[in-house]
Amino acid sequence: MIKSIAARIVACVIAVIAVALIGMGVFGTSQRTSPQGAALIENMRNHALVNATTGEGAVDSFVSAAQQRARAETKGQGMDAMKKAVAAAEAEVRASMSNMKVDLDGLDTAPLSTATDALIAARKDYSNAEEAAMQAYVQDMIEKGEVEGSAAPADQAEQAPVAVDGAGEAGMSDLEMPSQSDEPKVDMSGFTATPEMDKMQGIVNERFEDVSAALVSIQPLLDRDAMAQLEGAINQLVYQPGDRFETEYDRYVEAGGESAIPNDLMTARIIRYGDDLITVGIGLIILALLVLFYRKIVNAMGFPRMIIGGFFILLCIVAILYDLSIADLLSNTIVRMGMNSIMVLAMVPGIQSGISLNLGLPIGIVGGLLGGLLCIELGYSGLPGFVFAILVGIVIAAVLGYLYGLLLNRLKGSEMAVTTYVGFSIVSLMCIVWLVMPFNSLVLRWPMGGGLRQTVSLEPAFQFILDRFLAFKIGGITIPTGLLLFMGLCCFLMWLFTRSKTGVAMQAVGNNPRFAEATGISVDKMRIIGTMLSTILGAVGILVYSQSFGFIQLYTHPRTLGLVAASAILIGGATTGRARISQVLIGTFLFQGVLTLGMPVANALVPGSTIAETMRILISNGIILYALTKSGGDSRA
Amino acid sequence: MSSEYILEMRNISKQYGENAVLTDVTLNVRPGEIHALLGENGAGKSTLMNVLFGMPVIHSTGGFQGEVLVDGESTHIASPHAALDKGIGMVHQEFMLLDGFTITENIKLNREITTPSIVSRVFGKNLETLDMKAMRKDARKALDSVGMQGLDEFMPVAGMAVGHKQFIEIAREIDKTGIRLLVFDEPTAVLTESEAEQLIGVMKNIAQSGIAIIFITHRLDEVIQATDSVTILRDGKLVESKQTKDTNIIELAELMIGKKGEAMVDLPERTSPLTDTFAMSIKDLHVDMAGEEVQDVSIDIRKGEIFGIGGLAGQGKIGIPNGIMGLYEATGDVKLFGEPLELNNAGSALKKGLAMVSEDRRGVGLLLDQSIEDNIVFNAMQVNGEYLTGLKPIFTQKNGREIRKHAKRMIEELDIRCTSSVQHAGTLSGGNQQKVCIARALTMNPKFLFVSEPTRGIDIGAKKLVLETLVKLNRQQGMTVVMVSSELLELQSICDRIAIVSEGKVVDILSPHASGADFGLAMSGIKPTKEGADV
Repeated sequence: MIKSIAARIVACVIAVIAVALIGMGVFGTSQRTSPQGAALIENMRNHALVNATTGEGAVDSFVSAAQQRARAETKGQGMDAMKKAVAAAEAEVRASMSNMKVDLDGLDTAPLSTATDALIAARKDYSNAEEAAMQAYVQDMIEKGEVEGSAAPADQAEQAPVAVDGAGEAGMSDLEMPSQSDEPKVDMSGFTATPEMDKMQGIVNERFEDVSAALVSIQPLLDRDAMAQLEGAINQLVYQPGDRFETEYDRYVEAGGESAIPNDLMTARIIRYGDDLITVGIGLIILALLVLFYRKIVNAMGFPRMIIGGFFILLCIVAILYDLSIADLLSNTIVRMGMNSIMVLAMVPGIQSGISLNLGLPIGIVGGLLGGLLCIELGYSGLPGFVFAILVGIVIAAVLGYLYGLLLNRLKGSEMAVTTYVGFSIVSLMCIVWLVMPFNSLVLRWPMGGGLRQTVSLEPAFQFILDRFLAFKIGGITIPTGLLLFMGLCCFLMWLFTRSKTGVAMQAVGNNPRFAEATGISVDKMRIIGTMLSTILGAVGILVYSQSFGFIQLYTHPRTLGLVAASAILIGGATTGRARISQVLIGTFLFQGVLTLGMPVANALVPGSTIAETMRILISNGIILYALTKSGGDSRA
Repeated sequence: MSSEYILEMRNISKQYGENAVLTDVTLNVRPGEIHALLGENGAGKSTLMNVLFGMPVIHSTGGFQGEVLVDGESTHIASPHAALDKGIGMVHQEFMLLDGFTITENIKLNREITTPSIVSRVFGKNLETLDMKAMRKDARKALDSVGMQGLDEFMPVAGMAVGHKQFIEIAREIDKTGIRLLVFDEPTAVLTESEAEQLIGVMKNIAQSGIAIIFITHRLDEVIQATDSVTILRDGKLVESKQTKDTNIIELAELMIGKKGEAMVDLPERTSPLTDTFAMSIKDLHVDMAGEEVQDVSIDIRKGEIFGIGGLAGQGKIGIPNGIMGLYEATGDVKLFGEPLELNNAGSALKKGLAMVSEDRRGVGLLLDQSIEDNIVFNAMQVNGEYLTGLKPIFTQKNGREIRKHAKRMIEELDIRCTSSVQHAGTLSGGNQQKVCIARALTMNPKFLFVSEPTRGIDIGAKKLVLETLVKLNRQQGMTVVMVSSELLELQSICDRIAIVSEGKVVDILSPHASGADFGLAMSGIKPTKEGADV
């Protein structure tokens, strides 16, 4: 009772703080377009401009210009003379510039402001025109067929094995997604400015003259030469393509603009960081809700789900704060969830039929890989190719799964050890087999010698066939409709199976073999059915995975996939004896979500280090370890 | 000896929760006597011994009332180890021997004789060298004293005959110095007749050397043969404590079973009397069920009767239904309604209209992780293909609506206390789990129903309801019911005839109105003759 009261008080305090932050944030973001915001920005801009023409940066550019002149004059007079002349020039310029400081407060900045606004408008027009022209150019080139798009993935395919090797040793090679950008690459070297752009450039130049005039009137020491020197810097300062309040603000701060508004600094910062305030506020509200409904949430989802779910939300918030593209990250999460889900689903029949976690999933994966390779070898592509690969994969996996089931029936009671061992063995065995496979397709073979490549591009076969099917964008998040539909279909079929007579019998066998025996159900048969289903789903799973990944990865890559799938379902709340389909979806989402967000966030937190790689290994293996500690399941209340 | 008794347990009472298992029991043992402790299963023998040995189970459930005096001194025995310090030893029913060790090592386990060595002088006593010679001598002496002269003391225990293991166990207890009281927990249960006789001889020898023995058994003839005095418990109460020479086997049997109690349920009259058509004829049934072996059982069960199978635990009564239902390897001839029944095939037995409520609810009887409704319809779905929709037989789906409807009806009829029909079976209480098991058997619409220990571990109200349900099924639907139970009173309440099983064989088939003495004798394997017992 006391505990719940304390929880309520804590939640209330957090909520109050959150509401205050959100209020400030909303105020801040709404002020960005208001006269106050515009005034602040304008003030800062003027200050920054003056700073740029008279401040440290400008002095340096004058100095270097003078030095260059001195150098040119003293050319051929020996090193010492040149050094002396350069030093003298620098001292002279610095002395002349030292009294250039301008007190902006006492000046009428209206002409400068007007001129700058006009310059900004002109620059905006110019960059719009430039973009339109470039797009037209690209379109034109594509129509002419001069596209290099197909070359890029081929390059990647050659480079990929190296990357995969390194990551493979680390345990999980699937974590670095190749870029999925499908924009065709066009050589832009032939692009030249259009007449319209030239006209725009002319206007920009005229407007710059106005700004120069305004600046000179403020700072009489400036001459035409100096202004020409500063033209680029000023243009960069006042406008950059895709400018928003935040980018402008940051730029002016860098140029020393913040000192222009000593009294409104707090307000300016609230306006600038308004969105971050809102994000933190929302995070705090979620935290307050967690504290308040702790019991209910734990009862409904279980403690592990709450912890990992909370971690996921935290990662999202940090990602937003660091201005990482949350939409991209979420898109990635969804794709990863879809591509891994079938393999996680493969754990369900294994667990339900009593063989526990099927860590021998690589057996099924091998079947699927063979299906995919055959599809490429025979030159099938597109949807028929994908269906062909799946069918072949299913047949091979069914046979292998049957034999595997026979083995497991002989070794009842120690399935975890057996499946792990079998999983590792088959991968090692296949390493030899891949080397001697008599495939002829050049996509599959090494260019020289025998054996299959480590990484085979699915470009000619069924790359992204599910991901691209009916895919659409919503709020920046790409939804791979086909992939999700396929995942849903597989889950639905599995659900139907668990409700069939055989499915019910299979679950009884896993639940209580003696009970099943007493009803005349053949325990061995049901276990074989479960094993076969799991293996078949493994085969389908790797094909779905590969089409999303874009490549088929051979050799040691499948080794850890079983462990990853097992971890995902354990995180979803399954135990080694009980599993539901909902746990597949929850587990896969959380596992892949945390992995996808974890690395970029770690990179953003500690920039310029190799922390991302370390974090990736830590996070993924940490999750697996945590999941395995939950394999016994939480006590059922 | 300072006191007349080596052990006095005065007015011992013990409760497990609300359930009183011992009420005011007194046990007095003189030095050097063999004292029999007699009682049915659940009479309180084991609990009394647990109190004596200070087992953790006693302390963790709130201790006991009463007083224990060893050698006239009031003592508090906190643990089995403390009991050993007081000179009280136990010969266990299950052998507590390490298979890979030799006899000597087993006998001297944790009491090894050691000599100091260089290592032990540095690292302490735990690293002293074993003095094998001395240990061997001790082991030899102990083995000789239990009459095992022929046994090599360096033989490993693994693979030895059961009887020999029993004697090694005794030898180990005797070897302990200062032993004054030994408890033998049903030592003859696993022995052959000649071994049992040898054991009784050994016990008498031990007693003569001044060590008192408490002999727990249910074999009445052995009590008469071996013991000096006897204490009889029934339902946790002391019935009688007397000198063996003042009593006889029939009196003991009567005291152990007691008079027939009040009927637990009302038995309505049958509308039509029983005929001599047989629902099931069992001939030469052997069942290989560990701990409940059935050897050569032949019974005819009449159509429409309630047939009881009683007897003590471990004698084979439970093996009979389990063997017939195909849960354990069985041989013999079983005819169901005149048709031969295939043994060792659980599916076909169920298909033929047999059903069984297992004694092992949590092991065989239930899918603990699944819902009540799934448990109830499981057999009917798997065996008869009921409660399914879809394109049978290839594509099938559970018929959720039908299942729920049926489960609701069963829950109502059998008064299963649950939150809903989707509650997991594992979260129900024992009595309600039993009702779910019965509901599943009834869902099969059986013609012939086995119920094995249906009231084990459930409270009195649930017990009554279970028995009433059986009677109702029998009287209203004419279902033939075979009830296996350790509780004689239950069998007497509802059965038409009761077969008593001992050592895997049917000793006798009695009327429920037969005397307690008849039941008691039958349970210890003695078939009463017309004139009385063969004392």
